[in-house]
Amino acid sequence: MEESCLNKEKIVCRCEEITEEEIMAAIRGGADTLDAVKKSTRSCMGFCQGRTCKRLIASMLSSYFKRPIEDFLPGSLRLPITPIRLSILADTAISSDFGNEDAHA
Amino acid sequence: MSDSGEKSYDVIIVGAGPAGLGAAIESGKAGARTLLLDENQKPGGQLFKQIHKFFGSKEHFAGMRGFLIGEKLLEEAVKHNVEFRLGARVWGLYPDGCVTATDEENSLNFKGKKIILATGASENALSFPGCTLPGVITAGAAQTFVNVQHVLPGKDFVVVGSGNVGLIVTYQLLQAGANVIKIIEAAPKISGYGVHAAKIRRAGIQILTGHTIISASGRDQVERVIIAKVDENFNPIEGTQQTILCDTVALAVGLSPRIELAGAGGCEMTYSKTLGGVLPVHDDNMETSFEHILIAGDLSGIEEASTALDEGRLAGCRAAYRLGLMTLEDYTSKKVMILNRLAELRCGPFGNKRMLAKEEIWKKAV
Amino acid sequence: MSRLTAHPIIKIDEKKEISIYYEDQLLRAKEGETVAAALLAHGFRIFRYSAKRNEPRGIFCGIGQCTDCIMEIDGKPNVRACMTIVHEGMTIRTQKGLGQ
Repeated sequence: MEESCLNKEKIVCRCEEITEEEIMAAIRGGADTLDAVKKSTRSCMGFCQGRTCKRLIASMLSSYFKRPIEDFLPGSLRLPITPIRLSILADTAISSDFGNEDAHA
Repeated sequence: MSDSGEKSYDVIIVGAGPAGLGAAIESGKAGARTLLLDENQKPGGQLFKQIHKFFGSKEHFAGMRGFLIGEKLLEEAVKHNVEFRLGARVWGLYPDGCVTATDEENSLNFKGKKIILATGASENALSFPGCTLPGVITAGAAQTFVNVQHVLPGKDFVVVGSGNVGLIVTYQLLQAGANVIKIIEAAPKISGYGVHAAKIRRAGIQILTGHTIISASGRDQVERVIIAKVDENFNPIEGTQQTILCDTVALAVGLSPRIELAGAGGCEMTYSKTLGGVLPVHDDNMETSFEHILIAGDLSGIEEASTALDEGRLAGCRAAYRLGLMTLEDYTSKKVMILNRLAELRCGPFGNKRMLAKEEIWKKAV
Repeated sequence: MSRLTAHPIIKIDEKKEISIYYEDQLLRAKEGETVAAALLAHGFRIFRYSAKRNEPRGIFCGIGQCTDCIMEIDGKPNVRACMTIVHEGMTIRTQKGLGQ
C-alpha cells in the first residue's frame, strides 16, 4: 500500500508537531507540570498557544502521576493570548506591566 | 497606521455570540455606552450555524431556529445603540479595564468601566495516528462549512462522539446531502439527548457505542479510519479492529471554556468536569474575582445557547446596576426572573447536574 | 466536497461570483465566503505543509482557534484561511513550513 501516513506516531501538539512519545519522554524525564513539559518539548508554544493540546497533555500528566487532571490545568495564561504582529504590540501604548513575563503567572 | 488612542466605554463586551449579545442588549437598554467586540466579520457567534429549533421558553425563543434567533438579537442590540467593532481580535485584558485588540493592521485600544467576557468555548481535540491529516476536522468545523459557508467539507463522514454536538451535526450533514457512515462513541451509551439520537436512528445511521478511533490514514488526506471496541477503561480490545473507508472524520468530543483572556486578565480559576473543565470563579451575578470583570455563556461553563443568552442578559443587567444605571430593586427583580428561567433550563437528568455544578462554583465566589 | 445547491432549511442565495487565484490558477469564489470554503468547494484540502515533518495540513477547527489552516494570502504568510473572506483578485498559496 502506498501509505505516507501509516506511521504509528500520535501528534499531540499540532502546531509544533510534538508527538505523544516526545511528551512522555519529557514527563519521564521529570517534567511534572504543563509548563515544564512546554519548556522541555516546545509544545504549546506554536501559533495556537496550547489551546488545542493543553488538555491532552494535562490528561497524560494526570494518568502518569495518577492525580486528577485539574491538578495540571490550566498552566500559565499570559498576554498576549493570541499571536500578534510585533508592530501592533509596539503600537499599544500601555502603561501597565506588559512584557513582564511573570506579571500574570 | 496606528490607532492607539484609547476609546472609553461604560461596558465592553468581548464575544458577540448569544451571551455577548444578551449582555449588550441589557446593558444598552439600561443606557450604558456599550461596545461589543468580535474577531469575526459577522456577529452572532456560533448561533448562525444552528439551524435546528431551540428548546426552552418563549424568552429563549423556543421553536425558533438558531440563525433566526441570531438575527432577532442583532436587531435588538442595534436598537439599543450598541456599538459593534467586528474583525477585532482581542489579545489583552488589563486590571485597569483596558482591552487591547487588533484588526490585523492596526492596534485598537479600549477602556471600559465594566468588562463582560463572553469568549465562548473551544472544541476538544483527540490525538491518534493520522489526526493531523486533511479531512480530520472538528464537528463544529463541519457545521460551520455546511450551515454558514454552504460548502460540504467532505463526502463520506465518520463522526466521533455521540453527545448533542455529534448528533446534531450528523443530522445537519445528512440534511446537506453528505453520507454519514457511522457515529462512534467510546462510552457504553449514547451521551446526547434521546430526541436527537432517535432522529439519527430514524435516518438509518448506526451509533456504535463502546468504540474508539484508532487511526486515520491515507495519502495526503483521510482515506480510511480504523476503529476498535474498548474495554471498561476505554482501552482498545485486541482483535476487534475494523476499517471504514471514508474521507472525513468529524470530532465531537466535547468543548472547553475559552479561558485565555479571563486567565491573562487575572481572574481566579476553578475546575468543573460537568461544566467542561477550567473556568473563572463567578457568583450568581456573573461577577468574577474582579468586580469589574463579568463573564457569561460557555466561558462560565459549557451549556447551551439559551443558557448563554440568559447569563449574558444577567451580566448586562449587573454591569448596568453597578454603574448606577439601574436601581437595586430593578436589578433584583430582573435577576430573579432570569435565574428562574435558567433553573428551568437546568432541569432534567442533564440539566440538574449542571445546576448543581453551577451552585458549587457560586459558593466558591463567596 | 462541493457547494450545497438545495437544502431543506437553509435558503441558498445566489451570490455574486468573484475571481481568486490559487497557485496561479483561476478559481470562482462566492462573495462573502472564506478562503477555506472556496478551496474546499473546489476540492482542495491541503492548505499547507508543516515545518518540521513536511506533512499536509488543512482545516481543523474552522473558527480561527487552532491555526492549522494558515496559508500565504496576498503575499502574507500565516493567514488563517478559515477567518479570511475572499476578495476579487486575491492570491492564495499553499504555505510551506513557516512561510516566506
